[in-house]
Amino acid sequence: MIAIAGVGGAGVSFALAVAGEGVGVEMGEPLVLAILTACLTLSYVLCGLLAWRHRPASRFGSLMIAAGFINFASTLVWATRDVPYTLGQALDLLPPVLFLHVFLAFPDGRLRGRSVQGLVAASYVTAIALELVRMHFGDFGPRNLLEGHANPATAETVRQVQLTLVSVFCLAGVGVLASRRRQAGRPLRRSLALLIDAFAFSLVMLAFLFVSSAFDGPWVAQIRWATFVTLALAPIVFLTGLLQARLARSALGDLVVELRADLAPSDLRDALARALRDPSLDLAYWLPEFDTYADVDGRPLDLSDLGRSRVTTLIDRNGEPVAALLHDTSLQDEPELLAAATAAAGIAVENGRLQAELRARLDELRGSRARLIDAGQKERQRLERDLHDGAQQRLIALSLDLSLLEERLAGDSEATTSLDRAKREIAISLEELRDVAHGLHPAVLTGHGLQVALESVAARASVPVRLTVKLDGRLQERLEVAAYYVVSESLVNIAKHAHATSATIDVARANGHVVVEIVDDGIGGADTERGSGLRGLADRVEALGGRLRVWTPHGGGTRVKAEIPCV
Amino acid sequence: MRVAIAEDSVLLREGVARLLAESGMDVVAQCGDAEQLLAELGSEPVDVVVVDIRLPPTHSDEGLRAALEIRARFPSTGVLVLSQYVELGLAMKLLADSAEGVGYLLKDRISDVKEFLAAVRRVAAGGSAIDPIIVSTLLSRRRTDDPLERLTRREREVLDLMAQGNSNQGIADKLVLTLRAVEKYVSSIFTKLQLPATGTESRRVLAVLLFLRN
Repeated sequence: MIAIAGVGGAGVSFALAVAGEGVGVEMGEPLVLAILTACLTLSYVLCGLLAWRHRPASRFGSLMIAAGFINFASTLVWATRDVPYTLGQALDLLPPVLFLHVFLAFPDGRLRGRSVQGLVAASYVTAIALELVRMHFGDFGPRNLLEGHANPATAETVRQVQLTLVSVFCLAGVGVLASRRRQAGRPLRRSLALLIDAFAFSLVMLAFLFVSSAFDGPWVAQIRWATFVTLALAPIVFLTGLLQARLARSALGDLVVELRADLAPSDLRDALARALRDPSLDLAYWLPEFDTYADVDGRPLDLSDLGRSRVTTLIDRNGEPVAALLHDTSLQDEPELLAAATAAAGIAVENGRLQAELRARLDELRGSRARLIDAGQKERQRLERDLHDGAQQRLIALSLDLSLLEERLAGDSEATTSLDRAKREIAISLEELRDVAHGLHPAVLTGHGLQVALESVAARASVPVRLTVKLDGRLQERLEVAAYYVVSESLVNIAKHAHATSATIDVARANGHVVVEIVDDGIGGADTERGSGLRGLADRVEALGGRLRVWTPHGGGTRVKAEIPCV
Repeated sequence: MRVAIAEDSVLLREGVARLLAESGMDVVAQCGDAEQLLAELGSEPVDVVVVDIRLPPTHSDEGLRAALEIRARFPSTGVLVLSQYVELGLAMKLLADSAEGVGYLLKDRISDVKEFLAAVRRVAAGGSAIDPIIVSTLLSRRRTDDPLERLTRREREVLDLMAQGNSNQGIADKLVLTLRAVEKYVSSIFTKLQLPATGTESRRVLAVLLFLRN
């Protein structure tokens, strides 16, 4: 609708110009002016429409459309009837002020700052009120229906004042644009700068045009043409910027694809920087437990102290902050791009944060499991030691005493018999205690290491065992204990379930790991979850950050392999 | 015969000292740790030391290290190591390349006074005393194509006692056999196991243990 209206308006302007002035081909000025005016209307209306569709929330598009239609309305001065002529005349100076408004309201359609708002308001007053004053004093000839008290001299003075003021306002607008350009940041600098330059140049041309026509300078017609061309080009430059933003959105597509992969935090930053075309971009993670933002390496960041050229965009999920983007101020001119990027990043960051949290909890769990096993092991060692130093020693000493007593009572057979019985009881107790103590902790392991400890285990196995231990020196005790239990428990399993005829045990150090492998030639098909003790072994190995794997095909023997990192 | 004792349990140390003294041995030193034992040995020649394998300060391998050091520094001193557990690996480590003047017994054996004193004397004289548990572990060890199956029951008994360090006479006494009969069994065992005949008793202990171990 608006597009048709715009085209129609442009057509009407053109028709009015041609019909009203009754131009011939030789009359260059009205024809060229008519074409340029029509182009100007079309340029603003159509570009405004595109901008509107592209950013419905922004008033910039509608402002451009308004500028286009007001420009059309001002061409009513070419109408033959008096009423439209008068109306067109009253609006004659409004388009340049609207252009000024449009340029200063870039990019979101709002005028930022009191001074800018004042400047635009003053321009409107100058354009409309002084125009009406001029009409009152009889400017613009007999078809001016608003003529009150004809006074050509006053009208001329007002005209000069009005045009000069508009020129000054336009130049002030140039100043505003120049200061804004200085603030523009790095990534958008080229497209933004070009646009701001186009606006500023248009304003300069307008100012020049008005000064020339106020004081009847030379080449007014040509200057007007050039000004119109410049004005019509500004929306085109704007459109180019829009197109680039759209290209940026396709970069967003790449970002989303990249985010699907499992990105490291630093890669996520790089992907965002690429998508937003801001090499200075930083990613800050929200750490709720510390109530602060931190960079990828966990260093706390103060988001309130970023300087003028950088701002923060928060990324939240379900109302909770998860991260923040620290980026160039100019990115705020592309709010949809930023919104889309933060939405995409929000998912990835949340994902990464959850993963980090999960990893932290896993580490914590592994740590607490290791501590539990360590504590249990220490307790068992202590108990074994207590038994060794206490009850066992005392029983042996007691048995020795009984032996000495027995020798002394050599003649008394009744006494020696009961002493003998007592000694046998003590011997059985000692044996039981020894089993208990050894079950608590194989003391030989602490004193003499894995090789010595495993030799006895292998010798006592139910099947012939070939034991190969290739370790240079001792391992950490917890590793030795874990390896010892992996071997002894596997041999118990072989005795109970495997129906094997032989087994091999290999213990070696490889790539910073202790590798313990027990292979038998039995029936396989071991139950790895219940009864076999394999679950407990896996717990012990995994608690040390290692891995226990079991291959047990039916009829194919069983292979148990534990790999534990040597820290 | 001069004996030194290293045992951190006072109760046991004094018990052993009394036992040895009552049997007519000269207990020249009673030590609570390995360091003290080595110091005593440096100043006084000793025929045999009785040493606990777990000694202060860490109660891990001090006793064994002391035993190995004594074997290296005082080759004429016999070393009898006592332990609450006997481990095959430790026995092999202790013997290294000779069973001469070495004993490794479960501490419980002390209360079998006669056997214990015999072991002390044997080790002091350069013989060996290997705990029956070690030997039985080795004998009962599962083997593919077990050469021990070629032995008779009696031969196995003789092998058992031989591996513990008993002399032929000692074996004869224990099994109530004549010395000649034992000698016959021994030579038969060596032939069946294809072991080369060795001179001294301690050499044959090592040979038999090494054979059984593999």
